[in-house]
Amino acid sequence: MMLQPEDFWSFSEWLLRPESFLESALLQGVVLVALAILVGLLIGYLVSAGRYGPGEGFYAVARAVRDLVRDDLPGTSARRIYALARLAAKEAFRRRVLVVVALFMVGLLFAGWYLDRRSSDPARLYISFVLTATNYLILFLALFISTFSLPADIKNRTIYTIVTKPVRATEIVLGRIFGFIGVGTLMLAPMGVASYFFVTRGLQHDHEVVDIKDLGDGRFEGKLSYDQFHDHTFTLDAPAGPDEVALGLTDAVRGHRHVVRRIGDRYVIGEPTGALRARIPSYGTLIFTDRAGNLDTKGIDVGSEKAWGGYGSAGVSRLVGVTREARRLEYGYMEGGTLGSAIYTFRNVTPSRYPDEEGIAMEMSLRAFRTIKGDIVSGLNGSITLRNPDNPQIESNPIGFVVQEYDVSEERLPRQLEGTDAGRVRMLDLFEDLVSADGELEVIIRCTDRQQYLGATTSSVYLRPAESSFAWNLAKSYLSIWLQMVMVIAFGVMFSTFLSGPVAMVATFVCVLLGFMAERIYDIRYYMDRGESMGGGPIESLVRLLRQDAMTTDLDVDAVAGKVIQGVDAGLIYTLDVIATSLPNLPKMLGTAEYAASGFDIFGSLLARHSVATLGYVLVAFLIGYFFLKTREIAA
Amino acid sequence: MATDQIVTSQVPEQASAPDAGSGLVIETRNLTKVYRDFWGRRKVAALKSLDIEVKRGEIFGLLGPNGSGKSTTIKLILGLLFPTSGRVLVFDQDATETRKNERIGYLPEESYLYKFLTTDETLDFYGRLFDLSGEERKRRIDELVELVGLQGARHRQLKEYSKGMTRRVGLAQALINNPDLILLDEPTTGLDPIGTRDMKDLILSLRDQGKTVLLCSHQLSDVQDVCDRVAILHQGELKELGRVSELLKVQDVTEVHARGLSEAAKSEIAEVIRRHGGTVESIDNPTTTMEELFLNIVRESERRPGARRVTSDPADVDTPPADDSTKSRAQK
Repeated sequence: MMLQPEDFWSFSEWLLRPESFLESALLQGVVLVALAILVGLLIGYLVSAGRYGPGEGFYAVARAVRDLVRDDLPGTSARRIYALARLAAKEAFRRRVLVVVALFMVGLLFAGWYLDRRSSDPARLYISFVLTATNYLILFLALFISTFSLPADIKNRTIYTIVTKPVRATEIVLGRIFGFIGVGTLMLAPMGVASYFFVTRGLQHDHEVVDIKDLGDGRFEGKLSYDQFHDHTFTLDAPAGPDEVALGLTDAVRGHRHVVRRIGDRYVIGEPTGALRARIPSYGTLIFTDRAGNLDTKGIDVGSEKAWGGYGSAGVSRLVGVTREARRLEYGYMEGGTLGSAIYTFRNVTPSRYPDEEGIAMEMSLRAFRTIKGDIVSGLNGSITLRNPDNPQIESNPIGFVVQEYDVSEERLPRQLEGTDAGRVRMLDLFEDLVSADGELEVIIRCTDRQQYLGATTSSVYLRPAESSFAWNLAKSYLSIWLQMVMVIAFGVMFSTFLSGPVAMVATFVCVLLGFMAERIYDIRYYMDRGESMGGGPIESLVRLLRQDAMTTDLDVDAVAGKVIQGVDAGLIYTLDVIATSLPNLPKMLGTAEYAASGFDIFGSLLARHSVATLGYVLVAFLIGYFFLKTREIAA
Repeated sequence: MATDQIVTSQVPEQASAPDAGSGLVIETRNLTKVYRDFWGRRKVAALKSLDIEVKRGEIFGLLGPNGSGKSTTIKLILGLLFPTSGRVLVFDQDATETRKNERIGYLPEESYLYKFLTTDETLDFYGRLFDLSGEERKRRIDELVELVGLQGARHRQLKEYSKGMTRRVGLAQALINNPDLILLDEPTTGLDPIGTRDMKDLILSLRDQGKTVLLCSHQLSDVQDVCDRVAILHQGELKELGRVSELLKVQDVTEVHARGLSEAAKSEIAEVIRRHGGTVESIDNPTTTMEELFLNIVRESERRPGARRVTSDPADVDTPPADDSTKSRAQK
């Protein structure tokens, strides 16, 4: 899982961006709300002015604003909202939305047949399956129930008996939103519980001891049966006494191990452990050194393997043209057998945070880039060196490791290790000698194979101070799905206040789609701004398609046509960028599923950010919905 | 429907608030509505410069053929449509004000209700929209279910109801807030003659309680039976406005109703009329109305169940005598 710098921001960093306020979520939110209000008022005025004349049009718009502030907001009643919400929910249930839950359950029953049990990481497969299935089902459901209800009421005129009661437009919009959120929540909850059992029960399995060998020193080595397409080997430590239980642990296969006990002559194999986890990582800062040992912020560029960067979400700054910097991370590479290295500095490394006597757990997911074939079967070799940031004279001896590509490898940094102190070799204590006075530790990663390269980003290496519960992590994933659902419902209800059902659904769907495409649109702008040929905008792409031109060549048309095409494209892409920036960044929220699937604890700050963003969008959708409903002739 | 059971106690506070001065409940000033198409082009002028005033405590009828602007007027009064020009004031407030709805009850032309709710759920829902407390909602629902005679069906979903029953639920929801102004759009559509009679009795009793009723209808006899004043619309324009009793009065014809006269007495009366220069147009036994005939048959059948002798000869039809005790108030 590759994390972007923005994923590491704390809630306040994300909200305020102290060093670059233009990129802050707060500014983006304020601009968005202000724009929504301004554009809404302008459109409202133009429509009213067209209908009633310029003076009366202004009066109509002013009256809508006055009514909101003077009557409708203060007069909004919880009892009426509750009644309308309950009605919306009843209506949804009458439309048999619960069938979706039943479908999901049936899907789960049969999913086991189709999920690849031979996968090297079945936990990831199971978790991503349930989360993805739930996510799309719930979003589609939210789309359907939220967009058809109000237009149906208007069409069959049941709305007449509601708006002729002292019901405010605020209450109609909020009642619908809350009602559908209630329906969605009632459906999401059983799906979440079912998912939990599906994953935990699905990964459950058993083995038997098929082979056991006495190692002579009281220890045993054995093999477990081949079940669920895998087997394990294990070692059994010598029991403390003749009647004591002998304990052992299997090797890790497909992300899990089993505890093996021998009680008398009987072997008891424990449940699989370690497959469902929620690691809480502690990330450090990263800087590279080049082959000569000089500090370098980016590392070596190896071309497309570095994973192309892009604008990422940079708030308003990109739209006003202040930034042209890439925001997305690219892998930096270090060359093997040189002084090139990746230096991670971890903070807050204290014995109280890492109490394990066996040392600090560190996990790595590095990329490998080979310039020669070498030994293709075994992985590239690297080394880990620990260094005291205050006193670089104190450093450990390199600890070798083999890079496991596309996988997370776990290393343990021992409490006591051999190293050098100002050239003198001695045993070093991790916390006493290598961690600085303010709790910082430098971990230096090098590639030891000549002419081969290792790639790293900030999220590639982290320490693991603690672990959270899987169930709670899954719940957080579901909370993220719930937030997405709330957003889609708010947009659906907003569009349904002025569009017919099917059109409202398409409009909401387009918004979701544009939200999903946001990062791609940012990237296209990034390449256009940098003048890199990566296919260009929509018109240029079409021309290339028709001419069968490659994406990375220069556009092969005459100069004037090229300028026109690229000019129009720039305008189109800028417009799309504005729209995409204004829309909720659903992929980021969808991305939390990746955390759970990869076994990482979902950051609390990330959920807090999503929650606040959702609240903001619900507010905007509510205001827009209110104005449309308020100024609409219900009986027209 | 049992008209004598209307309960008028427990009037909500806002309902008893006095109108600001004028005593007018509805006032339209130069009210005009032009329907336009999507592009804003003028399609049809549904209402042209309508000026009417509805006073407190009267039953006001809007009459007119299809497309005359009756429904448009009601929708403008309710704020469901916005005027193209002119104004509508309801309780001295603009028709688009939501607050006015606290004192209004509205029975739409067709009962636009949620078919998946039961009567109790429907009334509870609308009661909540008036922010009524749980206790008050329960009391009002019990009263109204009894008033509209749906005690036996209150827990059935409306989709199982006949048109007449749905109409009764529609009426009950219109009265849930004990309104001061009741707007009835074609109130007798879908009702059988008994229901129609009950509805008319109910309208009159509402008036007797000091409420104002505005109704629009094609059923001219209904309008004649209950309305104090009527406005006749045609092609969006007001054609006639006044008291029903005055509008319908035929100035140069005299009507005398008497009972127990002999043929000789009738001849003598005709002679007297001729002597005074009048023209005798007819001296005859009056016929009852079809409505009266039907109601009497149903009442008799309820008293004495079983098959009734029916002959094909109209002369043999056993017309019960008009009975004062059963004569409805609507005919008085």
